[in-house]
Amino acid sequence: MSTAKREALYRSRQLNWRKEARLLPGYALLILWVIFTTILIGWVAAASLSTTRAIYRGEVFDFAKNGLNFGNYVKGWNSQNVSVFFMNSLGYASVSTVLLVLVAAPAAYVLSRFKFFLNHPIQNGFVVAMGVPVVMIILPLFAVVTQLQLLKQTYTIRLLMVVLYVGINVPYTTIFLLSFFSNLPRSYEEAAAIDGCPPMRTFWKIMLPLAQPGIVTVSIFNFINIWNEYFMSLIFANQDATRPVAVGLYSMINSMKYTGDWAGMFASVMILFMPTFILYLFLSEKIIAGVTGAGVKG
Amino acid sequence: MKQNRTMVVIFLTPALLLFFAIFVYPIARTVMMSLFSVENVTSSVSEWTFTGFKNYADLAQTSLFRKSMWNIFRIWAVGGLVVMSLALLFAVILNSGIRFKKFFRAVIYLPNIISAVALATMWLQYVYAPRWGFLTDFFSWLGLEDLAATQWTAAGNKFWALTFAYCFGMVGYHMLIFSSGIEKIPHEFYEASSIDGASKPRQFTNITLPLLKGVVKTNITMWTITSVGFFVWSQLFSTVTTDLDTITPMVYLYLQVFSTGNTVMEREAGLGAAVGVTLGLLVVLVFVLTNLLIREDEIEY
Repeated sequence: MSTAKREALYRSRQLNWRKEARLLPGYALLILWVIFTTILIGWVAAASLSTTRAIYRGEVFDFAKNGLNFGNYVKGWNSQNVSVFFMNSLGYASVSTVLLVLVAAPAAYVLSRFKFFLNHPIQNGFVVAMGVPVVMIILPLFAVVTQLQLLKQTYTIRLLMVVLYVGINVPYTTIFLLSFFSNLPRSYEEAAAIDGCPPMRTFWKIMLPLAQPGIVTVSIFNFINIWNEYFMSLIFANQDATRPVAVGLYSMINSMKYTGDWAGMFASVMILFMPTFILYLFLSEKIIAGVTGAGVKG
Repeated sequence: MKQNRTMVVIFLTPALLLFFAIFVYPIARTVMMSLFSVENVTSSVSEWTFTGFKNYADLAQTSLFRKSMWNIFRIWAVGGLVVMSLALLFAVILNSGIRFKKFFRAVIYLPNIISAVALATMWLQYVYAPRWGFLTDFFSWLGLEDLAATQWTAAGNKFWALTFAYCFGMVGYHMLIFSSGIEKIPHEFYEASSIDGASKPRQFTNITLPLLKGVVKTNITMWTITSVGFFVWSQLFSTVTTDLDTITPMVYLYLQVFSTGNTVMEREAGLGAAVGVTLGLLVVLVFVLTNLLIREDEIEY
């Protein structure tokens, strides 16, 4: 690095007070927004560890007086099936996320690498599908599923939910991974072919591992989306044993409103909030990259 | 070459099968269904009776559906304006050379990863709560007792309370899209215009905005798609099953087709299909209109 460049870098690292002053209104707005978000989540988190009486008195942050009532969580978790809902969500989200990679990655690879006459129509079809609202597909799906008698038994419902979540997210996942594969140089495959590795083996052994960063990003994104999905599970997972946490807690939150167990209700909200929040704490950069990635081209 | 063809077929088949099962066939059947009188969603095709556009005409006559369309239009238009303005503002601020950009960006996007059930409950039971609510405390701290006493989720205020809370959660996503658009604009454009004496607002209107056309289109399309699916928030803010203040087309469809034991509406699943097709067409319409109205200049950089 030249001296001039180093000097410029040094200067840019230094606090430039005039520049910072000009940015002050921007900072103010951002900080206000951050404060509000923090209060919103912080208060609910505090209330979930508090007692209903303390919530009424407006002293949820007074932990010295009211103690940390983890009992709200324990009570919620043990009663009313929350543990079942939670495990269902975890199962749906993780199994679907893995299957999505297995289905979408090969499709994306083939679409990015080979010329054949249906290539572009398929890609366009997937892009259009990304914009199809659920209302356009829900009624026939329900009709077919009922005709096949899939809504009678717990395991068929579970299977169905996974298939639906995989199917719904295949277009987005494929398009996302497609642009990822296009950016990998072809020299890898050429080298593998010269060494006598058949193309399918090359994909599983070489190309898929190379696409790992993209796969991780799209998987976190899929996991969160499936965890938070509401409408389809409301309609299809119509037994307590198969409900995911969002739908299960909706009815629970409603009933707790009437029984007046506010601390318990806020604890339920936190149980729903925590898993995606923890993922976000560690992986926010990856998740943000997923939003601005292939799915949405300007 | 032969080997490649087998590979293409094997690798594409699972994805295509799912695509046809989950998208192509259901869309075709929904469109068909909307032209038939169908007593029950589960009725097989042989039990359908063709009625042409009767379902659409009936929908247009149904006051509940019209109310739901009016609600979703207001959420789309007013909420859209609020969300897009805030999202663009934050995107510009974040890219103005501010410190802790990644932190601010992560916090603004945070509501988007929270389940709508959790986020709506936070607003409903904390921010808008009458006794211990944030707004009540905030306004009484400012000494504005009238505002502090407002029942935010009472009949007259509920719709806007709902829209506002929803907008808060949506800003982050659209901010990211704007931000990624701004990041792609080369720095030299701003430097060159600064040398020529252009002010910051001038740079915004003459450089940033014109180059964000494509991103604006993406944002409007995505906003329309999410608006059309407006459901959970409405359910959480409703106090009765058919709440006129908060009803949206998707809630209407749910009540019409899936709600058991409601006596309000006649049983007609064809109406539900017509709701679906109407909403789908609205997305297409908005997409076509934005593409006509916002002409993107061919610029490579």
